[in-house]
Amino acid sequence: MYRRLLINIYQVRNGLIHTRLPSTKCKERESFAPVIWAPCTARPLGTSSISFSENKESSTSLSEDKEKRPEENEAKEEVNTDGQKSTEMNECTEISNATLASQLETETVDKPEDSKQVEKTKSGKESLLELLGAMKVEVTTVRKIRPSKTPRISVSADQEPMESAHSMFQHATAEGSQQHGTLNPALVAAVSAAASTLPNRHQAESELLKQLRKHEAVPDTQRRADGQNIGHIIADMKVGRRTNGRSNARPTSQIRFDDDDGKGYTQDRGITGELDAVRRRKSPFTSKRLNIFTAGMEQDTLSDLGLTLWDIDLANQIVQATNQTPRNGFEEMIQWTKDGKLWQYPINNEAGLEEEASVPFHEHVFLEKHLDESFPRQGPVRHFMELVITGLAKNHQLTVQQKKEHIDWFRDYFRQKDDVLKEAEA
Amino acid sequence: MASSCSQALRRHVCKSCTILQMHVSFFFIFIFFSEEIVIPKKKTWSKEAVLQALASTVSRDPTASDYRLQDDPYLTPKTSSEFKLFSLSQESGKNAAKYFINTYPKYFQKDYAQPHIPCLMPETLEAQIEEVSEAALIERIHMRKVEAAVDLYDQLQQAGTPVSLDVTNQLLDLICFYGDSDPAQENVPKQRSEETEDVQDEPQTKKGRASKASDQLKAAWKENNNAERIFALLSEPNTHSYSALIRGMVKYCAYSKAFSTYTDLLNNRLKADVNTFNALITAAPEVKEKYNEKWELIVDLLKEMAEQKVKPNLLTLNAVLKALRHCGTLGKSQAFPVISEMKALSIDPSLASYNHLLNIFYKPGAPFLGQTGILQEVMNEVSGKSFTPQDPDDGICLLLQRCLLTKDIEQAYRVHELLGVGENWRLLGKDLQQNIYYARFFSLLCMMENIDVMLKWYRDLVPSVYYPSSNIMRDLLQALDTDNRLDLIPQIWKDIKQLGHANRQKLVEDLLTLMAREKQNQEVQESFAECALDIKKMYDTGDRGKVIMSWTATSLSDIISVLLAAQRRQDAWEILKLFKTHNRVPSEELLNKFLMCIMESGEVNHAVELVQISAGFCLPETPKLIQRVQQEFQLSEQQKNILSDLEIQTFNSD
Repeated sequence: MYRRLLINIYQVRNGLIHTRLPSTKCKERESFAPVIWAPCTARPLGTSSISFSENKESSTSLSEDKEKRPEENEAKEEVNTDGQKSTEMNECTEISNATLASQLETETVDKPEDSKQVEKTKSGKESLLELLGAMKVEVTTVRKIRPSKTPRISVSADQEPMESAHSMFQHATAEGSQQHGTLNPALVAAVSAAASTLPNRHQAESELLKQLRKHEAVPDTQRRADGQNIGHIIADMKVGRRTNGRSNARPTSQIRFDDDDGKGYTQDRGITGELDAVRRRKSPFTSKRLNIFTAGMEQDTLSDLGLTLWDIDLANQIVQATNQTPRNGFEEMIQWTKDGKLWQYPINNEAGLEEEASVPFHEHVFLEKHLDESFPRQGPVRHFMELVITGLAKNHQLTVQQKKEHIDWFRDYFRQKDDVLKEAEA
Repeated sequence: MASSCSQALRRHVCKSCTILQMHVSFFFIFIFFSEEIVIPKKKTWSKEAVLQALASTVSRDPTASDYRLQDDPYLTPKTSSEFKLFSLSQESGKNAAKYFINTYPKYFQKDYAQPHIPCLMPETLEAQIEEVSEAALIERIHMRKVEAAVDLYDQLQQAGTPVSLDVTNQLLDLICFYGDSDPAQENVPKQRSEETEDVQDEPQTKKGRASKASDQLKAAWKENNNAERIFALLSEPNTHSYSALIRGMVKYCAYSKAFSTYTDLLNNRLKADVNTFNALITAAPEVKEKYNEKWELIVDLLKEMAEQKVKPNLLTLNAVLKALRHCGTLGKSQAFPVISEMKALSIDPSLASYNHLLNIFYKPGAPFLGQTGILQEVMNEVSGKSFTPQDPDDGICLLLQRCLLTKDIEQAYRVHELLGVGENWRLLGKDLQQNIYYARFFSLLCMMENIDVMLKWYRDLVPSVYYPSSNIMRDLLQALDTDNRLDLIPQIWKDIKQLGHANRQKLVEDLLTLMAREKQNQEVQESFAECALDIKKMYDTGDRGKVIMSWTATSLSDIISVLLAAQRRQDAWEILKLFKTHNRVPSEELLNKFLMCIMESGEVNHAVELVQISAGFCLPETPKLIQRVQQEFQLSEQQKNILSDLEIQTFNSD
């Protein structure tokens, strides 16, 4: 079982892609805690050797697991940045996770049974102590997890198997006399409540509290040892990262050969692409420059020659080299618009009448001012001319200039026919 | 009810009012703090904006033919030759109309359009101003009449009328541009003989460029031509005059002369302009022998540009890169510094720059070892960008060519993707370039991609944008073969027929061999047989009654085996007779196969006839066949006699 677990862990470590890693992690940790701590309490009480060894196995393997956790995280990060996850691998890790979890579950289920067996053989007081020990552990782990999810957790977990449970118990008894730890009032209340159920109430309570303080003291000693241990762990992490890079590359290359439809290639590209991205920080396109020109150079106005034959030819060549055929009706219309063959959008009914745009409408409509003194004030000619300007006022085809010319023509005409008009006494 | 409604309405209005006030106050605060924001009173759209918006909503329909071919469904081309004919006739129709309008302008004077449309009116091709004056000279320059302009200039000089420097420079431009000879008339429809069938992987020698180069060669720069003569007459030539002369010299391959003119310019304490430098950089590799000398000359020119405070442009960059192609290994080391130099001057490389870059790194014909990196780098730079054509060398085709050489399908996809960005499709070039591009794309797909993906592309692009050549169709057949999807062959045969490749003997024979090679399941075999009979028809009636393809022994035996596999004995029997009519000899294997088939059906007459045919060809196998027939068939007396006769005959002949 130990081996199986280890294999599982290795699998997890090699290609872990946790999509829901945090949650599973928490679960694992919760389930680990009693498993890890159980031997500590069980051993001095002389639990059955089978249960103990089993627990030890699991605890050591799990501690290894925790050692590897940073690496796993790295692996996860790498794979995530890749963007492309191989589904196969995902499945594999999920399976391994599942098996892990199930094993852990079975163990945790086993645990109470063991302790019950122990309980039967041992005296009530000792069993109570054991129970309290288990309870205490939960409290401490909770406390330690909550404030900061630092490597410290893994350190504490890490150290436990190293430090034999026996010596730990001795530590606890030795430091029990110090009594400097202040206990959580809630805990004290709980202890007194528990003690009240026992016949010898005061003795039980004091013993319980003492036991609690012992456990409180244990993390302190561990905390002291943290400094050196963190160094170890960091060293481990570094090693893990290096090996990780290599061990990661291998499975993907295997996948590439297994794959038929070329997905392996893309994945390989993804990983190598990432490596490239690291390397590409000096892409050839951002290499050093010749340093001939200065960036903020201003151009001499002298070299501006305007549009020459050469420029026209260049434009022509570019047009020749490119595809100018329209792909749909609208593009053809764009082409026509550019050629000036099409009425321009947005539709403007004054298009092409640019020279008239500055002429106000009254110039078009009120043309009486042009019928000045050169025309008679009244009579048939005047009447005729009024009709003419009414017609001109309604004519939208002519420009103002043309209208003026029209009137001028009549002015000239009537001037020429002046004698005829006089004869007729018009 | 009504009152409550109105109340609600009033409340609503009040609320919106306060919101509006808030908005307005915010607005004022906004203006107060950032004064440079100017909200226009009216937005004037460009005249194409509406149409561009509409055009962007239309995407390509893979089932429809090209837009310009849609006018007449009857004429919609189905083969590449028809397509060529159609597009050329469309072009030449336009040219013919223009030619008539311009040659007989007096018939096209009525102006119906309101407002006036200048581009529909005939161009004036004859000079309007007759007297000898500067205005007449300008007119002739605008009409690009080189010889007339030079004549007029001489007349003006003899008359002692001074011609302004500007006009003289324009005249110099004209003479240098056309190399002192009248330009060929543009409206003469050019006969394009483009061979789309065999697209060679020649490096960037596009047909158009090649022909242009030959034009230039036949009109070389002549010693003491009009340009030099008029230039010598100038008392104080300025930058423009020098620029025109140098550019003309470079254009017409007088490179060393161009450089000596340049030193002349420097001696006269003048500054050159950017175009002059561009021309000189283009000429630089031609005047020096060694690679490092060439590069040093280019660097010198660039330094002089910096000294004279001439800002380089994109064409400078492209000219340098193009020149670096002739600098061997120096090109590889210097190309990227040049590009980053230009980037520092905020000149973004165009596609032509990348093309030159790829040309520097990938020598045609040479195998490249581990050089795919450059292509990938280029693709990383290029992909997702929309390019506007700025250089005649801007083209996407070359990128794909590199992909083909490296067999890098992924980069090819990226190139194809690039084609879809913005206006990049214009950079694909004209029909010929497009054809080359798609041919390359397809051959790469056939080589690298599995058949389903391949067929997806095939259905998408054929025949709406691309008419594959017979070579490509053979590649496709090969791809079908490697992916074991021979059941698609009848379908492909239909396409082949439609694309007009049904008379390509090699293609058809390949097709037959593929069909005959293995025994398929019943259904597929049946469709194969139909297909084979269809192919037989193609052999019988060639194009316009002419027989183009001739039967070979292998094609005949392939057809027979396909038909036999589909239990079409009668058809197979008819084809067997063709061996005789076309003087081809069937193989023994085929005859054995045929005999097996006949045995299954138990047609004795056919068996005897088969033996007779075999004897007619004097095949060495005949005695064995006779033996088999004698043993395995129930023969009548007459048949037995025939066989024994045959036996004796063959025995004698041996």
